[in-house]
Amino acid sequence: MKHENHIIVGRTWKRKFIVALLSGFLALGGLISVFGFTGTAFAMPLGGMGDFYVEFDELNGEGFKLIPEIGETGESDSEPMVRNLIDEVKIENLHIYKDLKLPGTDKWVRFHVRADGETTITGLIQDARFIDADLSFDDLQIEEKNTDDFSENWTQRADTITIEDAKLVTDYLFQEFVSLEGAKISTEMIDEPEIVDDGN
Amino acid sequence: MNKKEARALRRQQKKEEKWQRKYTKVAEGSRFMQWRHKRPFWGATLTVLAALLILYIPLHLYAIAMIPGSFVFVGFLFGGLILIIGVLAYIYPQFSTVFGVITIFLSVLSIMGALGGFIVGTILGIVSGSLLVAWEKQAMPAGESKRNGKKQKQLVEQETASTAQT
Repeated sequence: MKHENHIIVGRTWKRKFIVALLSGFLALGGLISVFGFTGTAFAMPLGGMGDFYVEFDELNGEGFKLIPEIGETGESDSEPMVRNLIDEVKIENLHIYKDLKLPGTDKWVRFHVRADGETTITGLIQDARFIDADLSFDDLQIEEKNTDDFSENWTQRADTITIEDAKLVTDYLFQEFVSLEGAKISTEMIDEPEIVDDGN
Repeated sequence: MNKKEARALRRQQKKEEKWQRKYTKVAEGSRFMQWRHKRPFWGATLTVLAALLILYIPLHLYAIAMIPGSFVFVGFLFGGLILIIGVLAYIYPQFSTVFGVITIFLSVLSIMGALGGFIVGTILGIVSGSLLVAWEKQAMPAGESKRNGKKQKQLVEQETASTAQT
């Protein structure tokens, strides 16, 4: 063999490494700053951490579909809930918050995400355990199918949906594209977490 | 020869000595160590790890990720490509620089569609890509490493003696 008489030692050139690393972080910084300035994020999932709360003044959506869903919550691995799928969404005064217990203490902290302006979402998927809101639909259609697949068994569709003064106990949220105008993220110390009883 | 030049020479010799020691260590080391030194092992391993982290979100959302054109599908594509590049870096070490540049580029772009494996995947991808870019292999005839080691030692001793005289 050609290489049998040779010892090959790999080495890492420090200067090359630093230049490549800085270029990479510069590109990352550039990309984040562009998205940060416009408040835009792609494929934003939020889930696997139990209940969190979504409140808003008004939501206008196009291409609405509601299907039954069995999903994970903060207390259980499989809990019945509803899955809302909306193609295009515009929300006024969005407020998302989540209560978390500080490890090793009895204290709780609440994380807030607020958007004072208009929030635009494309490809929204939301699993809700509890919905308290004023709802109105255009061309509402409820369909039942004789199938073993529980998610196809019962569906609700509408061309447009308007939700007002809403409070939703959410367990999973996914947005294909989201733009939050005037977004603010803050934390607050609280005495105890909010518990919403869905009446069951 | 002034002090500055002597110091620079000594530094250079120390560096070379260090390399000689490394050559000897690899020559006498295990087969795995020799295999590891023939390719950008750490760069490739971290690239594979970064790809798995980046793929975590699209795999988690596989139901919608399969829809072509969705951003999650793009995340799947980026994560998959980084994984392939990581594996290829083990097989074709001669292309490590190109693989490194592509890894950095895809890791940064994976923010879209896969959230860059909660950013951690992207950062790991940038580090591993940089390791791939900076990696280079150096070959030395097997017999020469020991001979050169002795030669270097003699040279250093001579130089130290001459600087001490001046």
